[in-house]
Amino acid sequence: MNDRYSNPYVIGVILGLILLFSFYTMGRGLGSSASFARIATAGVKLVAPEHAKANAYFSKYIKGKRSPLMAWLVFLTIGAALGGLFSAFISNRIKGEVARGPSISVSIRLWLALGGGILSGFAARLARGCTSGQALTGAAELAFGSWVFMFCIFAGAYATAYFFRKEWL
Amino acid sequence: MGPLYKFGWFDHAYSLQLAGLIGFMFGFVLERAGFGNPRKLTAIFYLRDFAVLKVMFTAIIVCMLGLLYFFFFGWIDLGRVYLLPTFIWPQIVGGLVLGIGFVMGGYCPTTSVVATVSGKLDGLIFIIGMMLGSVLFAEIFPFLKGFYTSGNMGKIRLTDVFNINSGIIAFLVCLMAVGAYWFVEKVEQKFGDKDTLPKGSPKVKRTAAGLLILLGLILAVVNPDRIIAKPAIPAIKPEKQVERVQKPSATSETPDSIGFKIVDDEGC
Repeated sequence: MNDRYSNPYVIGVILGLILLFSFYTMGRGLGSSASFARIATAGVKLVAPEHAKANAYFSKYIKGKRSPLMAWLVFLTIGAALGGLFSAFISNRIKGEVARGPSISVSIRLWLALGGGILSGFAARLARGCTSGQALTGAAELAFGSWVFMFCIFAGAYATAYFFRKEWL
Repeated sequence: MGPLYKFGWFDHAYSLQLAGLIGFMFGFVLERAGFGNPRKLTAIFYLRDFAVLKVMFTAIIVCMLGLLYFFFFGWIDLGRVYLLPTFIWPQIVGGLVLGIGFVMGGYCPTTSVVATVSGKLDGLIFIIGMMLGSVLFAEIFPFLKGFYTSGNMGKIRLTDVFNINSGIIAFLVCLMAVGAYWFVEKVEQKFGDKDTLPKGSPKVKRTAAGLLILLGLILAVVNPDRIIAKPAIPAIKPEKQVERVQKPSATSETPDSIGFKIVDDEGC
């Protein structure tokens, strides 16, 4: 970490303008969790195509003959990966590591990352979106459910933060 | 008049390229803010660094003001912007679980991508977890379907719930945000590490807060809801837009299955 991180307010303004640009051009906001659901669907389709087609939820992503990966959000996520890579590269922040607090072992951290990922992937499908697609995008449109969802994220995290303090502090 | 895509300014193939560009900017600013680092992200839950809240609230407010001003000036037809429907119960439960996943895994979905590309193995593991979680959801979807569709309130906005116009809502959101910024900076001063917290002159902050409240106040006075959008050009329905590049095999499909229906895709 050679560079300091940018000022969060400045980043917030720029992110708001990017979101506005997305609304103005596409009529929709940002998002990413659905792209992982799509990648997972593509994987299931590859292994068990009949099973994927028969499933009520997977089949939503498999319409017509197009691959589930040919979707707007998948391209957005690929772009986000490249943008993040570029930013990390110019600031010398690319470093192979397992990010964790000083008092937790690598293996426990990775298990918790897996568990957190499973919960997040599941929850994002249940809520029809994640922090970006539901909370950020929906809140800017003043969607009622998105505001409730955003406060619930904070509530869930603050309520359980105590149990994970050794992971981060 | 926007949204450009809904008025047929470009086709599906170009929209995917645009997605790459928007995504690039999105990932870039997230990494700039330090959101590829889970210790920076989770510091908000230990009252040490509220960068997550500052970025999120500021982005929401800038975009909200932008949308309402664009609407007021007739630059965008908000009726054609995809509005997320409210299913209140799954959203409450999903939010709580996502919050637990956030503090446990250290990321939310997009930030884990940024972390992975900056070399963090835990970010990659988190992504694998998200895919497993999605598969798990799909596999038990038959049992969850009732809950998934419960609490359907339709496409409602805060304006419908509180029954006040969006200008006043915007003004209240601006006031709430300025209050939140003030409060979390107080908390940060108490619990945070002063060397790593962003510095900023109080004068600039006061000016920005004043500008924010002013922009909200103008909206509250002019009341953008008075304006009923009358699109000059009839919009092209998304399903009628065909892709410029079509594989020969695609012609065997029925037109409905080729169509790009944005409403079928969820926000995130």
